[in-house]
Amino acid sequence: MKRTLLWLKLIITLATIAVVALPIVVNNHSWPQISRDYLYTNALSDTGALNTVSAIYLGYRAMDTLGETLVLLVSITGTMGILVNLKREDSDQSISFSLEPEKRAKNAQRTYLLEVIASKLGPIVLLFGFYVMLYGHISPGGGFQGGTIIASAIVFLALGTQMETKLTNTTILARIEALAFLVLVLAAVSGVFFESGFFGNPIKSGNSLSPNFIILLNIVIGLKVGMSIAIMCIAMMGGRSDH
Amino acid sequence: MTILLLSMILALGVYALFSHDLLHSVIALSAVSMISALLFTILRAPDVAITEAAVGAGVSTVIFVWAIRHTRRRSKD
Repeated sequence: MKRTLLWLKLIITLATIAVVALPIVVNNHSWPQISRDYLYTNALSDTGALNTVSAIYLGYRAMDTLGETLVLLVSITGTMGILVNLKREDSDQSISFSLEPEKRAKNAQRTYLLEVIASKLGPIVLLFGFYVMLYGHISPGGGFQGGTIIASAIVFLALGTQMETKLTNTTILARIEALAFLVLVLAAVSGVFFESGFFGNPIKSGNSLSPNFIILLNIVIGLKVGMSIAIMCIAMMGGRSDH
Repeated sequence: MTILLLSMILALGVYALFSHDLLHSVIALSAVSMISALLFTILRAPDVAITEAAVGAGVSTVIFVWAIRHTRRRSKD
Protein backbone atom coordinates (compact mmCIF):
# COMPACT_ATOMS: atom_id res chain seq x y z
CA MET A 1 0.00 0.00 0.00
CA LYS A 2 2.70 2.39 1.02
CA ARG A 3 4.84 1.43 -1.96
CA THR A 4 2.02 2.08 -4.44
CA LEU A 5 1.48 5.49 -2.82
CA LEU A 6 5.15 6.31 -3.32
CA TRP A 7 5.03 5.25 -6.97
CA LEU A 8 1.87 7.31 -7.46
CA LYS A 9 3.56 10.36 -5.99
CA LEU A 10 6.61 9.84 -8.21
CA ILE A 11 4.47 9.48 -11.34
CA ILE A 12 2.47 12.61 -10.53
CA THR A 13 5.67 14.59 -9.92
CA LEU A 14 7.22 13.47 -13.20
CA ALA A 15 4.00 14.23 -15.08
CA THR A 16 3.92 17.76 -13.62
CA ILE A 17 7.54 18.35 -14.59
CA ALA A 18 6.82 17.02 -18.10
CA VAL A 19 3.83 19.35 -18.53
CA VAL A 20 5.84 22.36 -17.35
CA ALA A 21 8.88 21.53 -19.49
CA LEU A 22 6.92 20.50 -22.60
CA PRO A 23 6.61 23.97 -24.23
CA ILE A 24 10.36 24.51 -23.92
CA VAL A 25 11.20 21.15 -25.51
CA VAL A 26 8.74 21.15 -28.41
CA ASN A 27 9.04 24.89 -29.03
CA ASN A 28 10.14 25.57 -32.58
CA HIS A 29 10.15 29.36 -32.64
CA SER A 30 13.23 31.43 -32.13
CA TRP A 31 13.35 33.89 -29.28
CA PRO A 32 11.90 37.33 -30.04
CA GLN A 33 14.67 39.81 -30.69
CA ILE A 34 12.96 43.14 -31.28
CA SER A 35 13.24 44.49 -27.73
CA ARG A 36 16.83 43.29 -27.46
CA ASP A 37 17.82 45.11 -30.62
CA TYR A 38 15.97 48.24 -29.54
CA LEU A 39 17.73 48.27 -26.17
CA TYR A 40 21.08 47.59 -27.82
CA THR A 41 20.82 50.69 -29.99
CA ASN A 42 18.82 53.10 -27.84
CA ALA A 43 19.44 52.36 -24.16
CA LEU A 44 22.52 54.54 -23.78
CA SER A 45 21.02 57.58 -25.45
CA ASP A 46 17.63 57.20 -23.75
CA THR A 47 18.80 56.90 -20.15
CA GLY A 48 22.52 57.63 -20.03
CA ALA A 49 23.49 54.32 -18.43
CA LEU A 50 26.02 52.05 -20.07
CA ASN A 51 24.81 48.98 -18.20
CA THR A 52 21.58 47.99 -19.93
CA VAL A 53 20.11 46.35 -16.83
CA SER A 54 20.51 49.62 -14.92
CA ALA A 55 19.07 51.45 -17.92
CA ILE A 56 15.95 49.30 -17.70
CA TYR A 57 15.26 49.35 -14.00
CA LEU A 58 16.25 52.95 -13.29
CA GLY A 59 15.49 54.53 -16.65
CA TYR A 60 12.58 52.89 -18.43
CA ARG A 61 11.05 51.15 -15.42
CA ALA A 62 11.96 53.40 -12.48
CA MET A 63 8.34 53.32 -11.33
CA ASP A 64 8.64 49.56 -10.67
CA THR A 65 11.80 50.15 -8.67
CA LEU A 66 9.90 52.56 -6.41
CA GLY A 67 7.29 49.83 -5.93
CA GLU A 68 9.97 47.28 -5.04
CA THR A 69 11.47 49.55 -2.39
CA LEU A 70 7.98 50.07 -0.96
CA VAL A 71 7.47 46.28 -0.79
CA LEU A 72 10.79 45.93 1.05
CA LEU A 73 9.83 48.74 3.45
CA VAL A 74 6.50 47.07 4.28
CA SER A 75 8.05 43.64 4.83
CA ILE A 76 10.80 45.04 7.09
CA THR A 77 8.17 46.93 9.08
CA GLY A 78 6.15 43.75 9.57
CA THR A 79 9.22 41.75 10.61
CA MET A 80 10.26 44.38 13.13
CA GLY A 81 6.73 44.42 14.55
CA ILE A 82 6.93 40.66 15.18
CA LEU A 83 10.50 40.84 16.54
CA VAL A 84 9.79 43.58 19.09
CA ASN A 85 7.06 41.49 20.69
CA LEU A 86 9.11 38.30 20.54
CA LYS A 87 12.23 39.63 22.17
CA ARG A 88 10.75 40.08 25.62
CA GLU A 89 10.08 36.34 26.02
CA ASP A 90 13.56 35.35 24.90
CA SER A 91 15.43 35.27 28.20
CA ASP A 92 17.97 32.54 27.47
CA GLN A 93 20.96 34.83 27.08
CA SER A 94 23.63 32.14 27.16
CA ILE A 95 22.89 30.93 23.63
CA SER A 96 21.96 34.29 22.15
CA PHE A 97 24.20 36.44 19.99
CA SER A 98 23.77 39.30 22.38
CA LEU A 99 25.53 42.31 21.00
CA GLU A 100 25.97 44.39 24.14
CA PRO A 101 29.72 44.80 24.76
CA GLU A 102 29.61 43.84 28.43
CA LYS A 103 28.02 40.48 27.65
CA ARG A 104 30.34 39.55 24.82
CA ALA A 105 33.16 38.03 26.80
CA LYS A 106 31.14 35.30 28.45
CA ASN A 107 28.87 34.34 25.57
CA ALA A 108 29.05 30.67 24.66
CA GLN A 109 28.68 31.11 20.91
CA ARG A 110 31.27 33.84 20.45
CA THR A 111 34.57 32.30 19.50
CA TYR A 112 37.86 33.86 18.48
CA LEU A 113 37.39 32.44 15.01
CA LEU A 114 34.19 34.44 14.54
CA GLU A 115 35.75 37.66 15.77
CA VAL A 116 38.93 37.36 13.72
CA ILE A 117 37.23 36.48 10.44
CA ALA A 118 34.16 38.71 10.71
CA SER A 119 35.92 41.82 11.93
CA LYS A 120 38.70 41.60 9.35
CA LEU A 121 36.37 40.74 6.47
CA GLY A 122 33.79 43.42 7.31
CA PRO A 123 35.54 46.56 6.02
CA ILE A 124 36.59 44.84 2.78
CA VAL A 125 33.05 43.67 2.10
CA LEU A 126 31.77 47.16 2.92
CA LEU A 127 34.15 48.71 0.38
CA PHE A 128 33.10 46.17 -2.26
CA GLY A 129 29.43 46.94 -1.56
CA PHE A 130 29.99 50.66 -2.09
CA TYR A 131 31.90 49.89 -5.31
CA VAL A 132 29.06 47.74 -6.66
CA MET A 133 26.58 50.45 -5.67
CA LEU A 134 28.44 53.45 -7.12
CA TYR A 135 29.47 51.84 -10.41
CA GLY A 136 26.07 50.29 -11.13
CA HIS A 137 25.60 52.37 -14.27
CA ILE A 138 28.79 51.03 -15.90
CA SER A 139 29.52 47.56 -14.54
CA PRO A 140 27.22 44.78 -13.30
CA GLY A 141 25.56 45.68 -10.05
CA GLY A 142 23.42 48.52 -8.83
CA GLY A 143 21.45 49.71 -5.86
CA PHE A 144 19.84 46.48 -4.70
CA GLN A 145 22.93 44.33 -5.13
CA GLY A 146 25.26 46.83 -3.49
CA GLY A 147 22.73 47.37 -0.71
CA THR A 148 22.59 43.71 0.22
CA ILE A 149 26.40 43.47 0.20
CA ILE A 150 26.56 46.54 2.49
CA ALA A 151 24.01 44.89 4.77
CA SER A 152 26.09 41.72 5.08
CA ALA A 153 29.17 43.87 5.79
CA ILE A 154 27.33 45.64 8.62
CA VAL A 155 26.27 42.25 10.02
CA PHE A 156 29.93 41.15 9.91
CA LEU A 157 30.96 44.28 11.78
CA ALA A 158 28.20 43.87 14.35
CA LEU A 159 29.24 40.27 15.00
CA GLY A 160 32.96 40.72 14.94
CA THR A 161 34.05 43.97 16.53
CA GLN A 162 34.36 44.32 20.26
CA MET A 163 33.49 47.97 20.49
CA GLU A 164 30.24 49.71 19.73
CA THR A 165 30.30 51.75 16.54
CA LYS A 166 27.82 54.11 14.99
CA LEU A 167 27.50 51.74 12.04
CA THR A 168 25.85 49.05 14.16
CA ASN A 169 23.51 51.36 16.05
CA THR A 170 19.99 50.65 14.82
CA THR A 171 18.71 54.16 15.59
CA ILE A 172 21.24 55.79 13.29
CA LEU A 173 20.68 53.14 10.62
CA ALA A 174 16.93 53.79 10.75
CA ARG A 175 17.53 57.53 10.31
CA ILE A 176 19.76 56.94 7.27
CA GLU A 177 17.09 54.66 5.78
CA ALA A 178 14.31 57.23 6.26
CA LEU A 179 16.47 59.99 4.76
CA ALA A 180 17.33 57.82 1.75
CA PHE A 181 13.67 57.07 1.10
CA LEU A 182 12.82 60.79 1.32
CA VAL A 183 15.54 61.62 -1.21
CA LEU A 184 14.26 58.83 -3.49
CA VAL A 185 10.73 60.26 -3.51
CA LEU A 186 12.06 63.79 -4.03
CA ALA A 187 14.19 62.60 -6.96
CA ALA A 188 11.13 60.85 -8.38
CA VAL A 189 9.02 64.00 -8.44
CA SER A 190 11.87 66.29 -9.46
CA GLY A 191 11.49 65.30 -13.10
CA VAL A 192 8.00 66.79 -13.15
CA PHE A 193 9.37 70.32 -12.68
CA PHE A 194 11.95 69.92 -15.45
CA GLU A 195 9.44 68.82 -18.12
CA SER A 196 10.57 65.21 -18.26
CA GLY A 197 7.74 63.52 -16.37
CA PHE A 198 7.58 61.37 -13.24
CA PHE A 199 10.98 59.70 -12.71
CA GLY A 200 12.27 61.48 -15.77
CA ASN A 201 15.92 62.38 -15.91
CA PRO A 202 16.14 66.11 -15.04
CA ILE A 203 19.91 66.43 -15.47
CA LYS A 204 21.05 67.15 -19.00
CA SER A 205 24.61 67.60 -20.14
CA GLY A 206 24.58 69.21 -23.53
CA ASN A 207 22.44 67.20 -25.90
CA SER A 208 22.54 63.79 -24.26
CA LEU A 209 21.30 62.67 -20.86
CA SER A 210 23.79 62.48 -18.06
CA PRO A 211 24.20 59.33 -15.97
CA ASN A 212 24.35 61.39 -12.76
CA PHE A 213 20.65 60.82 -12.12
CA ILE A 214 21.14 57.05 -12.36
CA ILE A 215 24.09 57.31 -9.96
CA LEU A 216 21.97 59.29 -7.49
CA LEU A 217 19.14 56.76 -7.66
CA ASN A 218 21.62 53.88 -7.22
CA ILE A 219 23.14 55.49 -4.11
CA VAL A 220 19.77 56.22 -2.54
CA ILE A 221 18.31 52.78 -3.25
CA GLY A 222 21.48 51.06 -2.09
CA LEU A 223 21.55 52.93 1.21
CA LYS A 224 17.88 52.24 1.81
CA VAL A 225 18.05 48.51 1.04
CA GLY A 226 21.30 48.00 2.94
CA MET A 227 20.22 49.83 6.07
CA SER A 228 16.82 48.14 6.27
CA ILE A 229 18.24 44.62 5.88
CA ALA A 230 21.02 45.42 8.37
CA ILE A 231 18.48 46.67 10.93
CA MET A 232 16.46 43.48 10.53
CA CYS A 233 19.47 41.16 10.91
CA ILE A 234 20.84 43.04 13.94
CA ALA A 235 17.43 42.94 15.59
CA MET A 236 17.18 39.19 14.89
CA MET A 237 20.55 38.53 16.51
CA GLY A 238 19.37 40.21 19.68
CA GLY A 239 20.82 43.64 19.17
CA ARG A 240 19.99 46.87 20.93
CA SER A 241 16.46 48.17 20.78
CA ASP A 242 16.82 51.53 22.48
CA HIS A 243 14.19 53.34 20.47
CA MET B 1 29.81 21.79 -17.11
CA THR B 2 26.25 23.10 -17.04
CA ILE B 3 24.86 19.58 -16.77
CA LEU B 4 27.17 18.86 -13.83
CA LEU B 5 26.13 22.03 -11.99
CA LEU B 6 22.44 21.41 -12.65
CA SER B 7 22.64 17.84 -11.37
CA MET B 8 24.44 19.10 -8.26
CA ILE B 9 21.62 21.60 -7.69
CA LEU B 10 19.09 18.79 -8.08
CA ALA B 11 20.92 16.49 -5.66
CA LEU B 12 21.33 19.23 -3.05
CA GLY B 13 17.67 20.18 -3.34
CA VAL B 14 16.57 16.58 -2.81
CA TYR B 15 18.92 16.33 0.17
CA ALA B 16 17.47 19.53 1.65
CA LEU B 17 13.98 18.09 1.30
CA PHE B 18 14.68 14.68 2.86
CA SER B 19 17.22 15.58 5.55
CA HIS B 20 16.02 15.17 9.13
CA ASP B 21 18.28 17.91 10.46
CA LEU B 22 17.03 21.35 9.50
CA LEU B 23 20.45 22.97 9.83
CA HIS B 24 21.84 20.57 7.21
CA SER B 25 18.96 21.55 4.92
CA VAL B 26 19.79 25.24 5.33
CA ILE B 27 23.44 24.65 4.47
CA ALA B 28 22.37 22.64 1.41
CA LEU B 29 20.09 25.49 0.29
CA SER B 30 22.97 27.93 0.70
CA ALA B 31 25.12 25.68 -1.50
CA VAL B 32 22.31 25.61 -4.07
CA SER B 33 22.40 29.42 -4.12
CA MET B 34 26.14 29.47 -4.67
CA ILE B 35 25.93 26.99 -7.56
CA SER B 36 23.08 29.00 -9.10
CA ALA B 37 25.25 32.12 -8.89
CA LEU B 38 27.97 30.22 -10.76
CA LEU B 39 25.41 29.16 -13.39
CA PHE B 40 24.22 32.76 -13.83
CA THR B 41 27.81 33.81 -14.35
CA ILE B 42 28.22 31.16 -17.04
CA LEU B 43 25.01 32.39 -18.69
CA ARG B 44 26.48 35.93 -18.74
CA ALA B 45 24.08 37.50 -16.22
CA PRO B 46 26.50 38.90 -13.60
CA ASP B 47 23.89 41.25 -12.08
CA VAL B 48 21.67 38.33 -11.19
CA ALA B 49 24.68 36.35 -9.95
CA ILE B 50 25.68 39.09 -7.50
CA THR B 51 22.14 39.31 -6.16
CA GLU B 52 21.80 35.54 -5.86
CA ALA B 53 25.08 35.21 -3.98
CA ALA B 54 24.34 38.08 -1.60
CA VAL B 55 20.69 37.33 -0.87
CA GLY B 56 20.50 33.56 -1.30
CA ALA B 57 23.73 32.54 0.37
CA GLY B 58 24.04 35.42 2.84
CA VAL B 59 20.92 37.06 4.15
CA SER B 60 18.42 34.23 3.77
CA THR B 61 20.77 31.79 5.54
CA VAL B 62 20.98 34.18 8.50
CA ILE B 63 17.18 34.41 8.63
CA PHE B 64 16.76 30.61 8.37
CA VAL B 65 19.29 29.95 11.12
CA TRP B 66 17.56 32.50 13.34
CA ALA B 67 14.22 30.79 12.73
CA ILE B 68 15.69 27.35 13.51
CA ARG B 69 17.20 28.61 16.75
CA HIS B 70 13.74 29.63 17.95
CA THR B 71 12.12 26.29 17.05
CA ARG B 72 13.10 22.63 17.15
CA ARG B 73 16.03 21.61 15.03
CA ARG B 74 15.53 17.88 14.47
CA SER B 75 12.42 15.98 13.45
CA LYS B 76 11.02 13.27 15.72
CA ASP B 77 11.82 10.15 13.73
